[in-house]
Amino acid sequence: MSQVIAVTAGSAFLRAFPPATLGFRLVEVTGPAGIHFRHNSGAYGGKLLPETLGSGCAFLDYDRDGWQDILLVNGMDWPGHKRQRSTLHLYRNNRNGTFTDVTRSAGLDVEMYGMGVSVGDYNNDGYPDILITCVGQNRLFRNTGRGTFVDVTRQSGLAGRQAFSTSALWFDFDGDGLLDLLVCNYVKWSPEHDVFCSLDGKHKSYCTPEAYRGETCWLFHNRGDGSFEDATATSGIFDTSSKSLGVALLDYDQDGWPDVLIANDTQPNKLYRNLHNGKFKDVAVEAGIAFSSEGKARAGMGVDVGDFDNSGIPGIAITNFDNEMIGFYRADRHGLFEDMALSTGIGPASRNTLGFGCVFVDADLDGALDLVAVNGHIDETARFVRGVGYAQAPHLFRNDGKAHFTDVAAQAGSEFAQPKVGRGLAYGDFDRDGDQDILVSANNGPAQLFRNDQLAGNRSIRFHLTGTKSNRDAIGANVRIFHSGMSQSRMVKSGSSYLSQSELPVTFGVGKQDKIERAAIEWPSGRTEEYKQLTSGRAYDCVEAKGIASREGF
Amino acid sequence: MLLGLVITLATFLAYSWYVNAQIAGLRAVQRDLVDRNRKDSLQLLRIQNDLNSLDVAMRDMLDNDEPYPLAAWSTQFQRVRADLDDAFRLEAQVTVGRRTPEQQEYLGNRLAQFWDAADRIFTLARNGNDKEARDQIRLSLQARLAALNTAVARLLVENNETEEQTGLRIAQIYDRVQRQGYVFLAGALTAILLTSLYLIQSNRRLFAELSILSEQRSELAQKLISTQESTLRYISRELHDEFGQVLTAIGSMLSRMSQRSPQEVALHADLHEIKDVTQSALDNVRTLSQALHPVILDEAGLESALDWYVPKVARQTGIPISYEKSGTPFAAESRLGIHIYRVLQEALNNLTRHSGAGEGWVRLKYQPDCLQLEVEDHGAGFVAPTGNDGIGLVAMRERAELLGGTIQFTRPAEGGTLVRLTVPRSRLESANGS
Repeated sequence: MSQVIAVTAGSAFLRAFPPATLGFRLVEVTGPAGIHFRHNSGAYGGKLLPETLGSGCAFLDYDRDGWQDILLVNGMDWPGHKRQRSTLHLYRNNRNGTFTDVTRSAGLDVEMYGMGVSVGDYNNDGYPDILITCVGQNRLFRNTGRGTFVDVTRQSGLAGRQAFSTSALWFDFDGDGLLDLLVCNYVKWSPEHDVFCSLDGKHKSYCTPEAYRGETCWLFHNRGDGSFEDATATSGIFDTSSKSLGVALLDYDQDGWPDVLIANDTQPNKLYRNLHNGKFKDVAVEAGIAFSSEGKARAGMGVDVGDFDNSGIPGIAITNFDNEMIGFYRADRHGLFEDMALSTGIGPASRNTLGFGCVFVDADLDGALDLVAVNGHIDETARFVRGVGYAQAPHLFRNDGKAHFTDVAAQAGSEFAQPKVGRGLAYGDFDRDGDQDILVSANNGPAQLFRNDQLAGNRSIRFHLTGTKSNRDAIGANVRIFHSGMSQSRMVKSGSSYLSQSELPVTFGVGKQDKIERAAIEWPSGRTEEYKQLTSGRAYDCVEAKGIASREGF
Repeated sequence: MLLGLVITLATFLAYSWYVNAQIAGLRAVQRDLVDRNRKDSLQLLRIQNDLNSLDVAMRDMLDNDEPYPLAAWSTQFQRVRADLDDAFRLEAQVTVGRRTPEQQEYLGNRLAQFWDAADRIFTLARNGNDKEARDQIRLSLQARLAALNTAVARLLVENNETEEQTGLRIAQIYDRVQRQGYVFLAGALTAILLTSLYLIQSNRRLFAELSILSEQRSELAQKLISTQESTLRYISRELHDEFGQVLTAIGSMLSRMSQRSPQEVALHADLHEIKDVTQSALDNVRTLSQALHPVILDEAGLESALDWYVPKVARQTGIPISYEKSGTPFAAESRLGIHIYRVLQEALNNLTRHSGAGEGWVRLKYQPDCLQLEVEDHGAGFVAPTGNDGIGLVAMRERAELLGGTIQFTRPAEGGTLVRLTVPRSRLESANGS
């Protein structure tokens, strides 16, 4: 009887709330696009901690042809358990919806236990360089501009460090026009010092980070001669208690200087406020973002920053362990963050998922940033122990513009909504149709590319920024547009999400508007520029102090 | 009874007050001890966590596997120090009054000593003396941290003990309240029981007195009726037998005298007149005798008496009374029959004199186990009897009692009054047999 009632109630509910027709669809195009990548965690049964966490993915335009290329980070077999050769893969965009694997020709055919990727033009030559974070030695690849990369780890001064590095980001923390590098490290781990953990007392399982000591993040200052100096200690970033996984760039105090938010696993998150003198101060506790609202240090994984309420003040999303919910913060004008996970609906919907990569994107180009998060458990045995599943469906929280979010992943695309052991997540407009497509990487599984198809005719306007006085990538620049009585803002940023890097151009959804009243750009150098009466449905190239040029299309 | 009520109410009030007082006490204990203890423990745990962080950091410093100078750890130490200061400040607030000044001072000294050593070590480190600084960490900083840790751990243990004791106290209060609750419940139940018993007892006594009174009254009434009946019967018999005989004899003698002297006309006429007077006196005596106690009842039985009486009343009053009999007749002893007769007499009297009815019904029903006499009219109906009229009804009831039967006064559907006397047959016959 009660079942009958439940079924009736269920169908009544469905009738009352018919699936809202989404203005977009995420179509899987991985195979047709020529992407055939499977992550190798190296897992052989030894249950080594790093196996569970990789790896990342990136959208980048390495050949500067205006089309977003794809980079997928890979792990490798452990020493003594060699079965296959696995490397990261670089896919060049063929400008027709397909990609060509150019890993070997680009000189990236190098084995390493890769975790994350961060893309930035550290030498300001116009070509994006690549940092791959690793278990072991991180690698910096300089883009030669001729379609190849050179490993400059040694020359750059980044060599000689063994660590368990995770996410990284490029930013110019001292305003000298050169990109500096922040690298997050997880815990003090090496294969020789792996700890035995067990759920049943007999069989080895993956340890939680509590079993290991933390490791400081690293800050490398760009000297401008192709080398970096370690600024970890002098900048005040040094903290050996951190177990960092995600990092995001933001200007939380709106002072024009880049601050850094670091998501820590089982340790308080860190919000490093830029003190304008080459030093940082951790203000996470005062800002209310170090702990959950219950005072618990959660298992922070991925993090992204976005102006989801179009207030001009960045909000923050941090993915956490299952049973912890996504942390979803909005700041007041005093820089105090409030977790709105419950009231926005994101918290309850993410209670049973273990989230990793997360990005704010305006998936339906309606002018309100939506939130995408990929999920997946650490351990295959998770489904037996916790009953939450190893592979988990991603979230796509649609923002209704009134601070309420609904998970529409299933409606957006059945392949997209399929459970995955998701880790990396990035967005980029690879088909240049003006909306942001989605790239997902999985642990020990296939990477997937999802094309975003707009169905409702919503339009966007995109900006490609090039710094002259500022760093050439304009990372840290803030773009704000004004239209139909509202404003939206985006920051040009590297880092964010988890182990991943999204495209650098910024995208604004403007609904059906074919014009915006004005766009204001705050360059990292401090220069501000304003442009009026721009047309939507196309991209603009903005060069610092040189003006703006409209593209034909995106 | 009133006293019982007062006692019960007072007990309730006293008990409510007692429970309130206990709850207030419990709340105070909770507030003063449990909550503060918990808050204090939370702060102590926070302190312990901070000390742990420092411990881990110190181990990292000693491991010497980071490419950073020792001074780099100072920010980490400063961060923990800020949190520790805050935790100690809050801890001191909640623990106020529960710790001796000596204890508090001891803790403060330990902390000061630790930071003093830490500051000196970082000064050494900043001056490039990393080796000496590491030695100092090993020699003094770790020991001071351990001392601090022990002090905090001891406080936590104390808090734990306090919490246990408080728990015990709360449990005792609960036990006491529970015990008192049982006592109160038992007391209240006893009071209620005693009050009830007293009430029952006094009611029973009251009813017994009433019933004795009623019985005495009834007995008196019945004796009165019996005495009256026997007196009337005696007089009636005397009248009938003695005066009747005398008058009859006088009549006979007068007849004989008038035959012996037929010529004397005047005398004849006189004699005749005397004879008429005598006859009239005889008739009056007979009527009176009949009225006082129908001889017919003794001589011919109840049924015949009724057969005679009902038409007589109808005739005398001019009210048509239908008289019905049903069932197989059985005899009723005349000493009891008189009461049935009297009831009929009274009922008909009421009918003819008060009901204003133009018609009446008398039904005599012989039923297998009882005799029923019904007198019905559709007149004014039964009115609550007052004054002398009431005596008639009372007498009817008493007579029914005497007969061991019942009498009912009801109102028929058509209005008026229905008097129904029911006498058990066994009573009539047993009296008959005896």
